[in-house]
Amino acid sequence: MTTTLTFGPPATALGRATFTALAIRETRRFVLNPVFLFAVAFIVFALRAGPDAGTTEIDTTNPYPAIFLGGFGMMATYWLTRSMRASEPVVGVTPVTRPARTAALCVVALVPFACGCLALLRFVQLIPVSSPLYGPFSPSARVAVLIGQIVIPTLGGPLLGVALGRWVRFPGAAFVLFLLMYGWVSLVTILSMSHPDSTLVAVLRLFAPFAFFTLHSDAGGVTAWRGSPWFFLGWQLALCAIAVLVALLRGAEGRTRSRIIRGLAIAGAAAVIMLALAAVGGFTHAVTT
Amino acid sequence: MTGPVLRAGAWTAVAGLSGVAVVVGGCGAAFPAAATMLLPVCFALLAAAAAFTLDEPASAVVDVTPTGPARRTTIRAVALLAPLAAGALVLLAAALRGLALPWPAAGLALAGNVLLGFAAACVGRTRTGEPGAAAGTAVVLVLMTPSLVPQVARWVRTFPAPGAGGPSPDHVWWTVLAVCAVAIAISAGGRRLPRWRARGAIPRLPGAVRP
Repeated sequence: MTTTLTFGPPATALGRATFTALAIRETRRFVLNPVFLFAVAFIVFALRAGPDAGTTEIDTTNPYPAIFLGGFGMMATYWLTRSMRASEPVVGVTPVTRPARTAALCVVALVPFACGCLALLRFVQLIPVSSPLYGPFSPSARVAVLIGQIVIPTLGGPLLGVALGRWVRFPGAAFVLFLLMYGWVSLVTILSMSHPDSTLVAVLRLFAPFAFFTLHSDAGGVTAWRGSPWFFLGWQLALCAIAVLVALLRGAEGRTRSRIIRGLAIAGAAAVIMLALAAVGGFTHAVTT
Repeated sequence: MTGPVLRAGAWTAVAGLSGVAVVVGGCGAAFPAAATMLLPVCFALLAAAAAFTLDEPASAVVDVTPTGPARRTTIRAVALLAPLAAGALVLLAAALRGLALPWPAAGLALAGNVLLGFAAACVGRTRTGEPGAAAGTAVVLVLMTPSLVPQVARWVRTFPAPGAGGPSPDHVWWTVLAVCAVAIAISAGGRRLPRWRARGAIPRLPGAVRP
């Protein structure tokens, strides 16, 4: 009697099929979430209408995707993650591990990310990169500012929601974090207005998942603050990686757990380096054009 | 009865949110330039704290006790003192720091925010035992709309920032207070049992005899 043993591929293919099915199911649930639908509807409305006639710089019109697709998306993914808590005793005994289910939830973030990419294209159509509303930044830095303010928050917000949902039990955690981030960005932006050349204030302004880079000058023109938009993008991507790894860490065991912790250390170090480079790079003082 | 009803409240959530609101409001008082941005956030957090006052994890048992919803709501309303005291503390700190705010209007906005959160919880409590998370989120999103979307602030303002254009927030808050009072009275007086209870009833088999 002979038995044919097959290693790896069938199990891997099965795991991939399960993961794909889970990801599709979670994505469908996310897309039907009323908060996310409201956010998409608002962004469509805001970008269809275009900026006001009296717009003096881009920062008055471009935070909407970050607030609605990123912030509201964070709340939606938080609820999505928490919604399975009640059925955890049942779901927990299925062959699919918790990190695999978390990874399927993280895939959901691709939906608001895609919406963010579309929002970026529409924004560039409304306000071309060559417009003086971007201030004294170079064309490539302008693109980095737009990606950092429009696209990356729409990816990072939902990923943060998944991490929060995996670790925090308080049901209002998502809106509390949303308010705290809004308050922090407002505070450091106002501090930057009064201390535009301070290194410490620049670090504080960039120590956030979203940052403003320009300000309409009272004397006319647009003032660009300190900081490198490209390195800020790196900082944001490192934050996204940290959010995914923190979410995956919940329920991870054995080698997977040690790999995730190692990955977290690397992502944390990368985040610190990127933040430092973002603060010291770019303009060394505020520049007005 | 008052003691047990109060003891069962979601004090961790109410106190925690009020504490976070004090920190945010304290930053607003410490940095006067940011006060008009941070004080609305502080008030929204206090409204969310008020939305958690009616959370009842044991609602399946509590809702069928002889203590009526009106009495339970009245007792739980004592918990509103926490967000109100936190808000008063923040306003006091802002006054001591010399912030030039219209204080009666700011007090009215604080009362309006807290009552709006409580009214949302009262309405939500007729449907579920723990309305805090949903009511808090809804209230926060509504209250933050003028800050998040400047176009809305041209029509409705929820915080009396000095020098800001647009309509006075006092009219908004007097209207909100009146509507909230009516909503609380209706919800606490004639509330229905939560929906899930009716759906969860066990149907009797045809021909079954009651023992």
